[in-house]
Amino acid sequence: MGRLKPNSFAYYRPNSVASALQCLATQPDAKILAGGQSLVPAMNFRLSRPACLIDINGIEALAHVEVCADKVVLGALVHHQQIHEHPSIRQHFPVLAEAAGEIGHLAIRNRGTLGGSLVHADPASELPAAMVALRAVMEVAGVDGTRRIPAAEFFVGWMTTALDTGEMLVSVHVPLSSSSVYGFAEFARRPGDFAYVGAFVERAANESGAVTWFGVSDKPEYRPMSALPRDAAARQAEWQQLAAKLEVLDEPRMRRKLAVVLAERAYQKVEEAKIG
Amino acid sequence: MTVRFEQSKPQFTGARVERAEDARLLTGRARYLDDLDFPGTLEVAFVRSTHAAAKLVSVHAEAASRMPGVRMVWTAADIHVTLDSPEFGVNQPVLAKDEVRYVGEPVVAIFADSRYAAEDAADTVEVTYADLPPVLHIREALQAETRRVHAERPNVMYHQEYQTDGFEEAFGNALHHLSATFTLHRQTAVPMETRGCMAAPDGATNRLHVYVSHQSPHGFRADLCKFLGVPEHAVRVIVPEVGGAFGIKAMFYPEYVVVALAALRLRRPVKWIADRSECLLADCHARDGIHDVDVAFDGDGRILALRDHLMGDSGAYPAVPFCGSIGETSLAARMLTGPYKIPHLSFTIDCTYSNKAPLGAYRGVWGPPASFVQEGVVDRVARALHKDPVAVRRINLLQPEDFPYRTASGFVYDPGSYAESLETALELVDYDGFRKRQREDRSRGVYRGIGISVFVEPTAMAASEAGDIPYEAATVRMEPTGTVTAALGLGPSGQGHETTMAQLIADELGVDVRDVVVLHGDTDSAPYGGGTGGSRSGTIGGGAALTAGRKLRDKLLALAAHLLEADVADIELKDGAAHVAGVPAQRLTVQQLATAAYTDVNRLPEGMKPGLEVMARYQPTRPITFSNGTHIAVVDVDVATGQIQTVDYVVANDCGVLINPTIVEGQIHGGVAQGIGEALLEELKYDTEGQLTTVSLSDYLLPTTHDIPNIRIRHLVTPSESKGGFKGMGEGSLIAAPAAVVAAVSDALEPFGVMVSSMPVTPDQVLEWIDADQEKKVDSVDSKVYFEN
Amino acid sequence: MSDAVISASGRTPVRMEVNGVAETVYVEPRWLLSDVLRHQLGLTGTHVGCEQGVCGVCTVLLDGVLVRSCLLFAVQVDGHRVTTIEGVTPDEGLSPIQASFQRHHGLQCGFCTPAMVLTAEALLRTHPNPSEADIRDAFSGNICRCTGYQFIVDAIRGCSEEER
Repeated sequence: MGRLKPNSFAYYRPNSVASALQCLATQPDAKILAGGQSLVPAMNFRLSRPACLIDINGIEALAHVEVCADKVVLGALVHHQQIHEHPSIRQHFPVLAEAAGEIGHLAIRNRGTLGGSLVHADPASELPAAMVALRAVMEVAGVDGTRRIPAAEFFVGWMTTALDTGEMLVSVHVPLSSSSVYGFAEFARRPGDFAYVGAFVERAANESGAVTWFGVSDKPEYRPMSALPRDAAARQAEWQQLAAKLEVLDEPRMRRKLAVVLAERAYQKVEEAKIG
Repeated sequence: MTVRFEQSKPQFTGARVERAEDARLLTGRARYLDDLDFPGTLEVAFVRSTHAAAKLVSVHAEAASRMPGVRMVWTAADIHVTLDSPEFGVNQPVLAKDEVRYVGEPVVAIFADSRYAAEDAADTVEVTYADLPPVLHIREALQAETRRVHAERPNVMYHQEYQTDGFEEAFGNALHHLSATFTLHRQTAVPMETRGCMAAPDGATNRLHVYVSHQSPHGFRADLCKFLGVPEHAVRVIVPEVGGAFGIKAMFYPEYVVVALAALRLRRPVKWIADRSECLLADCHARDGIHDVDVAFDGDGRILALRDHLMGDSGAYPAVPFCGSIGETSLAARMLTGPYKIPHLSFTIDCTYSNKAPLGAYRGVWGPPASFVQEGVVDRVARALHKDPVAVRRINLLQPEDFPYRTASGFVYDPGSYAESLETALELVDYDGFRKRQREDRSRGVYRGIGISVFVEPTAMAASEAGDIPYEAATVRMEPTGTVTAALGLGPSGQGHETTMAQLIADELGVDVRDVVVLHGDTDSAPYGGGTGGSRSGTIGGGAALTAGRKLRDKLLALAAHLLEADVADIELKDGAAHVAGVPAQRLTVQQLATAAYTDVNRLPEGMKPGLEVMARYQPTRPITFSNGTHIAVVDVDVATGQIQTVDYVVANDCGVLINPTIVEGQIHGGVAQGIGEALLEELKYDTEGQLTTVSLSDYLLPTTHDIPNIRIRHLVTPSESKGGFKGMGEGSLIAAPAAVVAAVSDALEPFGVMVSSMPVTPDQVLEWIDADQEKKVDSVDSKVYFEN
Repeated sequence: MSDAVISASGRTPVRMEVNGVAETVYVEPRWLLSDVLRHQLGLTGTHVGCEQGVCGVCTVLLDGVLVRSCLLFAVQVDGHRVTTIEGVTPDEGLSPIQASFQRHHGLQCGFCTPAMVLTAEALLRTHPNPSEADIRDAFSGNICRCTGYQFIVDAIRGCSEEER
């Protein structure tokens, strides 16, 4: 029920990852504030009542997009709209740019961050599934140093990640692949709403492939396919077989049905992308 | 066609005049309720019931009183006012006493230096509830054994029956029959500005000033004074800029009493602004009705008799001053035959209490349900007989020679363009071309459907949600400089009355529309009037503006004739001057006339009183004038996902003489958008415990830019008998639109045997229908032809 | 910028440039930017409709970029530049965008209108000739309950470079 003013909290604005981590280690009940586009509504409703906010928006080192030889590194503070518009991302990961453009609305995308979305781990959001589909690796910092977690292992359940207490996500490494083509499709009641169900489909050069669903269960669901059939009927059977085994959140019949529909629509995008 | 003025062609009436309101709104300078601030204002947070039905075991608010910044805390023990509905014998304590009856009902009020502090204190209040079985469904409430929402009253709070003579015979003798149940889920209006009020004792006059976002300043004052037990001259009501209202702001609410009494008790300003969750919980709700309908028809599709059992959910209390369930059902019942010549009608109405929020007014009120039933019946008859829906409409529609037409319920329709509006809309949408393309589309697996809604809107009625004041009043004063100040008792919330009323007055007085300022919303300056609601402002308010303007015009003409030494019949008044017909040089400006009237009174003709100020009331000769029109919607249904997209929309609209076509079009657009929302998106959902699960705008879905197509409009003009020839039009578009949209969905899914019978239509329903169709298909006339979801 | 620390109950000065004017406001960390603009700085042209980022009526420009002021704490804009409807309104008359809204009847009750005007400002800066689809995309997060959007779309098209 509504209480649309947040509780009191202490406010920290560290200027480095090290001091952010120190705050996180010393302040009880602290939360990191990045874009705040999910956290602040929850605080306004008093569904989230942190005693302390650590505002990382001043840490410039987290706001970069860096293109390397074998990967693109995205800082945790890169905004959704930046991902949507960035020329390098559009070039190397068009599917990621497209998916980022489906998040919320312009004013939300201008402020919402990659790191915030991934750590929030809403099962209906696009970016966690995109990172799983693209086999990205999360770089996570703690007081004892950094570690890397493959996206598929990062999302462990309903709004839950592999981040330990005292850790923060600093960047995401997305490997460049010259051989795979991706497609993306989702279904939302209104554009900009959280997706009811969505899918990323990958076709690799060797005729293998993968589908990554979101919105069907408590986390992104990655399913490799040793052969991604070119025959429509065979492909449909494959989607149905995979969808049948999903542990769906609720409304199983509808979600499984849509999982099949959206996988196929994402596949059609793969075909379009190859022609294009 | 435009109304004929005796002396000069109207310059502004009927023109696309830009709005006087816009500059302040576009620049952010307008002052809405929460933009007003006085030093020392306290803000209020309400603790609301989290249980649908429960005894209040205890309410502990002591800790809240000790919180920083808190000035006062009230529970039912501190405030004994009830919102009385004597006709129902049910009174709502403004803070729940002993028992709570819906989630969102105010229980505790906290007055603090800021809303933040008030909310912090609200968090500390401990309420202990002992649950009762909640009553949540109409059919359940109708059962005698169901627990009573009000122990001392039966759950059926309103019952009415009506039948035309010879109904049973006509019904029984008909060749064909069909039955259907229509269900409308709960909704609410959701104006972008939330509800609220501020009360401030005025030291200068020793009165209470009450600022409120409301549609009827005088009606609000009457209700507030009644509940507070204070005389009306002791209260000044000021309605600032209103950010949308749509009926929910025509209502009176418990919070207003709490705020006003606290201001009187504390002798300081007190303000409460609803947050969005409070709006969804505790603004009045709408719709939530069921219609069990039986239809008798002949082999051509002529509808012979119609029977409806209308059931309305009133919520926990009869809303003050307009019980929505009764308003929705009783008028729907009488309007059920709509634009069709259906000779026999039978209806039974039952309205019941429930443990949900009270049902009040939302734009259209009875209309969207009635249109849904009326158009749904026509489409079902057409499908049963394998006829085109247009053919069945043509057979049943009222024709020009039928007016004035007495309906089966006893309403008398004034002339309208019913049949013409259908043909106009069909042409606009290229109906025949659509049907050809539709066959090709379906063969490609594209399901595009078309839906028609021919509507009749009773407007400018003696009684509506704006109260039962059958007239409106206007004062018009020409200032000594020749500019004009008018005041009306209307309560606009975006309809542009400051512009349209000024257009009418400017034409009467022969001045520039920019030289007329129109005041409203302040009981100190506005004459007593009914306010805005029930599509009455243009017709009744416009009539008042014309009447007052005409009186002042007559005085100006008499004065000019005297000063110009001419016959009054020869004086023309236009372009800011009076001159003798045919002798343009013989003229006086209105400023010269006004100066004479106020300051050079020796020059006035004998018997003429000084000054240029008149007040006039206008009551239309007919109790109702009926607007009409036809809406046609085209939707695409994605049968893989169930997604529905409205892709085309046309309107042929007849609201009599147009004051400002652009404003009329804006009203139509907005009503259609709300209608698309009603048909496809908006739903207040209560769970099995009576918890409202749609308490934010991420759960209660409003239409966005992607949901509303461009709308093509054509105006038809059948003037009314009202002064100026106007008919009301604020609600017709929302009355017609939901029926058109759901009919289009039914048409798109015709190959699957779908006929939509509940709103809103959701994607999961679409998928269910398509799944179900793959399992069974039936095909006959008098048995079920299609699925009733 | 060095680390900043503010206790929950304490008030801290926030320095920001609002509509070209340097302002200092003393705020609690939890105060929303929308509340501070309206009630501390008196810029009531910024409205509040849902306080969860859905309705869009509180939209302002932060360093020239569209944001929801109900989803930002005022402390966060320390050192930044905020533009509200008051900041895009000329001293006399209306801006070209505002005038186009009036000409096309792109507003009724006016509550969502300041945010619509600011969204138009932002869109037209990057897309001087937006298509109808561009406009509907850019405005999908701004809910209007009165107009059905058509005349708003017309208003934006009416002040595109091509139309001017």
